[in-house]
Amino acid sequence: MLNLFRVKLFFAVLSISSGIYAQQMVSGSITDEDGTPLPGASVIIQGTDEGVTTDFNGNYSISIDRGQTLEASFIGYKTATAVVGEQNQINLSLSTDNELDEVVIIGYGAIRKKDLTGTLDVVGSEDFTKGSVVSAQQLIQGKVAGVSIVTNSGAPGDGANILIRGIGSLNLNSNPLFVVDGIPLDSGGVGGSRNALNVINPNDIASMSVLKDASATAIYGSRAANGVILITTKKGKTGAVSYEFSSRATSFSPVSTIDVLNASEFKQAVQATQDTDIISRLGSSDTDWQKEIYDQAIGINSTFSASGDLKGVPFRASLGHTDQEGILMGDKFNRTTASLNISPQFLDGDLRVNFNTRYVYTENDFANRGAIGSAAYFDPTKPVFDANSPFANYYTWLDADGTKLALSPTNPLALLNLTEDTSEVNRIISNVKIDYDLPVEGLTATINAGIDNSTGKGINTQDANLPTDADGFNGSNNEYDNTSTNLLFDAYVNYSKTLDASIFSITAGHSYQSFEYDNSSSQAIEYLNGDGTVNTNTSITQNFIDKSKNVLLSYFGRINYSVAEKYLITATLRTDASSKLPSDDRWGTFFSTALAWNIHKESPTIEKVFNELKLRIGFGEVGNVNGLGDYNFLTRYTRSDIQSQYAFGTSFYTTFRPAPINKDLRWEVGQTYNAGLDFRFAQFGLSGSVNAYIKNTNDLIATSIVDPFTNFGTTINANIGDMENKGVEVELNYTIVDTTDFSFGVNYNVAINDNTITRLENEQNVGDLGFGNSLQRHQEGKAPYAYYVYKQIYGENGRPIEGAYADLNGDGQINNDDRYFYKDPYADILMGLTTSMRYKQFDLTIVSRASFGNYSYNSMSAASNQSQITNLNRLSNVHSDYLDTGFLFFSDKNAVSDHYIQNASFFRIDNITLGYTIENVVGENPLRLYVTGDNLFVETEYNGIDPEITGGIDNNFYPRSRALALGLDIKF
Amino acid sequence: MKKIIYLFGIIALAFSCHNDLDQNPIDPDLFTEVDVYKTANDARGALAKVYAGLAITGQQGPAGDPDIDPSLIDEGFSQYTRILFTLNEITTDHSVVGWGDPGLPNIHEMSWDVNNPWTKGMYFRLAQVVSFANSFIENAADLAKSNSEVGYYIAEARLIRAYAYLQLMDMYANVPLVTKVTTELPKQSNRAELFAFVESELLDLDSSLKDPKSNEYGRVDKAAAWSLLSRLYLNARVYIGQDKFNEAIAQSEKVINSSYSLNTNDGNSNGSAYDELFLADNDINGAQNEFIFLLQFDGLNSQSWGGSTFLVHAPIGGTMDASQFGVNGGWAGLRTTKALVDKFGYAVTASNADNEPTSWGDSRAMFHTDGQNYEMAKIPKFTEGYGVTKFRNVDVNGNAGSDSSGDHVDMDIPIIRLAEIYLNYAEAVARGGGNSATALSLINELRARAGAPLASSADFNTQFVMDERSRELYWEGLRRTDLIRDGKFVSANYLWPFKAGAAQGTASEEHRKIFPLPEDVLLVNPNLQQNPNY
Repeated sequence: MLNLFRVKLFFAVLSISSGIYAQQMVSGSITDEDGTPLPGASVIIQGTDEGVTTDFNGNYSISIDRGQTLEASFIGYKTATAVVGEQNQINLSLSTDNELDEVVIIGYGAIRKKDLTGTLDVVGSEDFTKGSVVSAQQLIQGKVAGVSIVTNSGAPGDGANILIRGIGSLNLNSNPLFVVDGIPLDSGGVGGSRNALNVINPNDIASMSVLKDASATAIYGSRAANGVILITTKKGKTGAVSYEFSSRATSFSPVSTIDVLNASEFKQAVQATQDTDIISRLGSSDTDWQKEIYDQAIGINSTFSASGDLKGVPFRASLGHTDQEGILMGDKFNRTTASLNISPQFLDGDLRVNFNTRYVYTENDFANRGAIGSAAYFDPTKPVFDANSPFANYYTWLDADGTKLALSPTNPLALLNLTEDTSEVNRIISNVKIDYDLPVEGLTATINAGIDNSTGKGINTQDANLPTDADGFNGSNNEYDNTSTNLLFDAYVNYSKTLDASIFSITAGHSYQSFEYDNSSSQAIEYLNGDGTVNTNTSITQNFIDKSKNVLLSYFGRINYSVAEKYLITATLRTDASSKLPSDDRWGTFFSTALAWNIHKESPTIEKVFNELKLRIGFGEVGNVNGLGDYNFLTRYTRSDIQSQYAFGTSFYTTFRPAPINKDLRWEVGQTYNAGLDFRFAQFGLSGSVNAYIKNTNDLIATSIVDPFTNFGTTINANIGDMENKGVEVELNYTIVDTTDFSFGVNYNVAINDNTITRLENEQNVGDLGFGNSLQRHQEGKAPYAYYVYKQIYGENGRPIEGAYADLNGDGQINNDDRYFYKDPYADILMGLTTSMRYKQFDLTIVSRASFGNYSYNSMSAASNQSQITNLNRLSNVHSDYLDTGFLFFSDKNAVSDHYIQNASFFRIDNITLGYTIENVVGENPLRLYVTGDNLFVETEYNGIDPEITGGIDNNFYPRSRALALGLDIKF
Repeated sequence: MKKIIYLFGIIALAFSCHNDLDQNPIDPDLFTEVDVYKTANDARGALAKVYAGLAITGQQGPAGDPDIDPSLIDEGFSQYTRILFTLNEITTDHSVVGWGDPGLPNIHEMSWDVNNPWTKGMYFRLAQVVSFANSFIENAADLAKSNSEVGYYIAEARLIRAYAYLQLMDMYANVPLVTKVTTELPKQSNRAELFAFVESELLDLDSSLKDPKSNEYGRVDKAAAWSLLSRLYLNARVYIGQDKFNEAIAQSEKVINSSYSLNTNDGNSNGSAYDELFLADNDINGAQNEFIFLLQFDGLNSQSWGGSTFLVHAPIGGTMDASQFGVNGGWAGLRTTKALVDKFGYAVTASNADNEPTSWGDSRAMFHTDGQNYEMAKIPKFTEGYGVTKFRNVDVNGNAGSDSSGDHVDMDIPIIRLAEIYLNYAEAVARGGGNSATALSLINELRARAGAPLASSADFNTQFVMDERSRELYWEGLRRTDLIRDGKFVSANYLWPFKAGAAQGTASEEHRKIFPLPEDVLLVNPNLQQNPNY
């Protein structure tokens, strides 16, 4: 009867107060310092032998008298105690004695690090990069072997391209899955958002775990094809409420601009044409346009948090605010974050609720990035302002009739000042996780329900004075409104049993996720009549609707078995069904298994040398449809808008275009083999791990050109081939000195990755340069996105000869058959080095990275030729590479010459932070002051603006700034 | 135990979500066959796309949601008549372009490669029109059983498909012949097979299209089928190695005797009824009586960065005043060579100090000479070569077109107009024998309405007809085909400035008479072999 009552409560959940049950029952959870639960910890009444052990989720409940002392202990952790008072809930966190016994979060559960069989790197908050961090991914840049994080641009709050162990897919999303406290984040984000990860205040993050191999990620199935990054946020702990405040002020400054001709070089280049008409177009100013568009920028970042317990319910709440400008004038990012975590318990601790909600409100001013290209190209002999210009006095190339010369670049300052692009984004992610201990010992049922809702709206306005060749232009507004709602429902059970020296645990469950997008927009462009009134005939107002939905259903199970802490085995099975795939190929089943051997447990001799020596091998597979559009297998028709109708007689008809279909789409499947060795010397302070892997991605889904007679479009998403990534990763942590006054340690990682397309039905031209010219090619046996180019011939003076390319096939003519594969955009070797020092109250950290073997294509220098300078009745600047080439034309061959493929290997100092801690500022709490600098130094041979550009095609890149900041952290 | 049952209850609940995996589009702008082919009126939207495939570039105007993936060709460039101009006029003595977009300078200098965006773009554009037509023909078949108007729609889709194949045969020679919706990789065909298909379709369509001039403006009728047959037969030697001049004459006569008529209405009273053909109101000013197959454009409702928007903007530059052309500015790209100017040498009325012509007694010589050099020293600079003022976005009263921003143009583009059929007739007579008096009188009809001196029978020969084609039809997308038929496209017997890249012109290579198949297509379809010497 009682049981039935409890089950009912299981569904009724939160409405009942917990107080009535536990006069002498005390329950709670035992966690590590980051709030990660510790299963199997012992909780005893001090001075007695009465006690219990915590369950799989680190929870206990015990009958105890007031005034007695509760003592929690766990191997590898320091014992913690608490005197029982009136409260019926006591949560204790244990600090580590030994890193090996730390518990780490894995998919749908947690495990002691020593029982781990997969490849997983945890970066705790103490190891995060401490610079002017705004987005979560910056915290671990350079910290984890084989993880490449390349920010998309220097814009504030911008996202990053994150690759774990090389690119795993050709066109699908190659970014890893981010899981925040059990809720997978939708990586898409909504319109108006700079970065999906902006939803989390980096200050709220307790740790980030990178799951690299498929045996670790397989439990997430198809969402985890490119690895998983688990973000664990800080949680509330039992105890008095404490407060933390941190604040930082940063100054950003431009460090690099595109190397274009200066005014005097430009004049010479124009005069060299000896064409009086062209020379007459020269002005007399000396304008460095790039200097005009970039400026110093300021950012302020503050977080306030409170944590503790409120009437026995642990909570943590935080409020953060970021206000940051970009170096491109007018760029602003303004973010307010709020988060709340509460974790009440009911039914003697058998029913535990963990409620998280995080909310972010962002206001963006996007400076017009067209100004970047325009500033590079704009004639340096022209002034910014010209009293004769009808466009708010911004200098503009004019036609004979006084309007803007068609196809001439727009004054970059006019672009920045006369256009506005603002957005507001709200995002709320909430979840409630309910754990319920069933009456079978070791059996826990969990339900996790979450919602991730984003709304974005924005407006894009063009001032009536914006230089344009359109007549009677009276400005325009473009408004958009997006909503995306994702629902998650997970239900699973965990069962664990300890038999003598072996531990057996099993997890099985179900997951349902739906993703719904509504990207609607409206457009209003106004034109004037001659009398200044708005012409309603030509002014355009129209609405666009763009909606989509997909569903992912999954069943999963995992078994962990460990014998005598020596032999460990994990096996995972997940089956996924995605509505993106046709019903025949919808279900995919993915399996993984891993074995680990704790060698140091084999003999005391080994254990004397090694605290840990663990060998791991694993195999796993995961599917991928991330980033694939919806309904690809259905015949759909797209209706045209009002400006693209077609007339019969005098009536206009919106047209229906059949969309290309692929009824044969199936899962892209990644298989990883991984072997690893983890070691920690008992002495020397040296630890690390070595991993080797082979990752095969089969049935790659890629945007693929179709024979245009066979489908209605020109490209479809299709399964086209297989690819292999193989590599070795080494991570070393070396604490050289660690005394009370002085410590010095280094963390070094290196990853070597080789990526090859192993099967491809047809070669594919990729790397669009904007006008239908392809720079790169996928071909069997080559790296994906390898550059496919002509081999430039150089004269005796070392200068390239225009139109002269090597006849590589020796057939006497230079045509497409003479192109060859030359390098690719992805690094062969990535390194990260973090050096940390502490002397008395001072601390110093230096974070640096290096990348070798990545090559970039410099679009700006490829477009440098005389016709570019003189064409179209205006003048246009070019990259200084022109001084070397002197090319006359932009032919379809020199656009794809190897002359423009350059080694973009680099060494970069990402961050240097110097801190000073003053103890006992507020009570016993310290105050830390620090100065920090980001992007302080880059060494490279590459002649473009930045060697680190995703995809290798360097075009109109928003330059990364240098950041210098002052900050403080205080607890009270 | 009951808890376990409850637990299974939850799992059962989970299974009930399985139906959710069958997602259908929730976007009201996405449709299925059921919606699109529900009624005859709905099907007009699908038929409109078969036509629009030749006129606009995507489902959002003027650019957006493109038909052709922009990695293959920029959307603005991908419009059919714009590429047609590029491949059939810029390759010839009629035109040069100064822009430096990668691959564009290769067009006039005849050095295009297998990845040239324009040669690639045309292949994709025409093949896509074929696939749109195939889709329409299949899906509308049921509807046609109960609605005779839909039967005409299908016939029109077949005509457009035949036109697309005629062009594919002309430009690429060896393309697959695909007449139904399929996902199987097609086999390569050749000109003989394509010729037979186009001929049989057009002959068959004679009975299923509407009678001449009985259809709505903008939709094709029987005269279009006859006209395409006249073109097909005129070029039969090039395509299949046989002369079919008698057949060309017969089909041309059917058109000439139909209710189509030359425009002789001088709406703007400038002494010529020729310029009206290329004005913003050419759908109503009388020109429409001459248009047998045309593409409709509209500055507000059918926008693209190709089409007539391109034809009007691209030649404006130098001292030309864009407002005279009804647009907001020029793109300073297109000009002509002296080879075309010299075709009007017979009617020069004024010359400058260097004895270069500046005025003509033939109103078809629509050249802008002020500030332009007759001799061309280099291509990129706009002032090299005379400008061409043939296309304008103003009506007969000089009012600009409907788009008051001055971007998009209303002018419709004739694909086939009666004057071409007159000249097809005349050329077939000149080459194959026949009634040269009728041929001459047809040509003189063209001259008369343009206010040009009439020709006499002594003038009449093949060269004369070819030059007259140049004078009447320049910049209308026919020149490359004409030169090939005349044996002058790549040979040394006729040179023009910068032919094959040499300032004075030089012979090109024989294989340039057909364009390469795009490498992207060869990569996906191993059944295809590249055209010779590419």
